[in-house]
Amino acid sequence: MDQIYIPKNRVGLGVGDYVEIKPIGANLQDEERERKLYFYKIKYLEPIKLDIINRVIEIIDEEIKNDNIIIAGSFLDKGFEFADLDIVVLCNANIDDKHIDEVLEKKIGIKTHVVIINNSALIVGLSSDPLYQMMLSKCVAKNRFIYRIKKKIDYKILDLHLLKSKVLMQNYDVLNGREKYYFTRNMVAIYLFLHSKRIDREKVEKEIKDIFNLNDIDGIRLNMLDKESFLKRYKEIYNKTFDKIMENIKDGAK
Amino acid sequence: MVQNRGKLMELFIGNISNAIIHSILEKAIANRGIADWYRKEQINSFDIAKRYREKINPVKTSLSVKDGRYIKDKIIRRVKGELLIRIEKGYENIDLASVEIETEGVLRAIGVID
Repeated sequence: MDQIYIPKNRVGLGVGDYVEIKPIGANLQDEERERKLYFYKIKYLEPIKLDIINRVIEIIDEEIKNDNIIIAGSFLDKGFEFADLDIVVLCNANIDDKHIDEVLEKKIGIKTHVVIINNSALIVGLSSDPLYQMMLSKCVAKNRFIYRIKKKIDYKILDLHLLKSKVLMQNYDVLNGREKYYFTRNMVAIYLFLHSKRIDREKVEKEIKDIFNLNDIDGIRLNMLDKESFLKRYKEIYNKTFDKIMENIKDGAK
Repeated sequence: MVQNRGKLMELFIGNISNAIIHSILEKAIANRGIADWYRKEQINSFDIAKRYREKINPVKTSLSVKDGRYIKDKIIRRVKGELLIRIEKGYENIDLASVEIETEGVLRAIGVID
C-alpha cells in the first residue's frame, strides 16, 4: 500500500482514509469545490466540520457581499459537543444578522450565532475586549487575516462584562456545567487581560485549572466541582478583578 | 431541587437587579464603537430571572400588590447601591433617575406587576 502525505484539515479526508489518486484535471469539479481556508491555532478538525464550514461560507457568500467570514467557538473543539456555531462576518453593509442565522439554520440545521461587523469595529473589539481576543485566537477564516492590535483597556467595558460572571455566585445550584464554564472563563479572561497577559483559549483554560486547582477543565463543564472551595476561590477572583476595575474606572480607557 | 418561595424570590431579585444594572451601564457607555457580540449570548441574568419567575406562584398572573412592592423596592435599593459604588469611584454618565422606570418596565414585562 502506498502512502501519501497531505496537510491536515482537508475536506472529506480523515487520517488513515483510503484515497484514489488521479491526474490533475480528471476531477476538476471536486477540486473546485474545495475552498482554501485559513486555520488559526487549530491542530485538527473533523472532516465533516470542514464540510459544514464550507457550506456555511457558501451560503453566507450567496446572501451578502463580505470581506471575510470567521468561524470560532466551541464548534472548533474536538468532538461534537458544541452548543452553536459562532460566525463573524466582516462586512460594511448594515445587514440584520438574525436573517443570516435563520437562513443558515434552515439550510444546514445547526443553530448559529452570526455577528456582522465592520473591520474598524472588529479592531476596536480586539484591542479592548479580552473575549474578542480569546474568541478569535482559535478560528477558521475564509480569507487570511492579520491584526496588529495595540491593547487598550476600557475599564467600563470590562466592568460590564465582569457583571455577567456575578450570576454564578448567586445561582450556583441552578446552573449547569456548561454555564458555569462560560461564566468562569469570562471572569478569568478579564482577570488575565487586566494583568497585561495575552489571551487565548488555552491560556485562559490553563489559568482556570491553576486558580481552581483542577486536573481537567471538563470538571467544570461536567459540573463535578466541590461547591464550597470552588465558590470561595471564585468570589476571591471576582472581587479582586472588580476592585482592580474600580480602581481604574475614573481614568477610563488606557 | 425544591426551593421555598422566599428563596426563589430572593434569587429572582438578585438576577433581575443584575440585568437592570447591566442595562443602565450599557447605556452609560453607549457609542463606544464596540460591536454587539454579547447581546445575543444565551445565558444572562434576565433569562435566569425568568426561570425563577416561572417557579413563583401565581405563574400566569401578576404577583400580589404586596409581593410586587417588596420585589420592586428591593431591586431599586440593590441596583442603586451597585451603581453608587461605581459613581463614587468616578464612573460618569450613570443615570440613577432611570432605575425606577427600568425596574417597573422589567417587572411588568416579566409578569410580576401590572
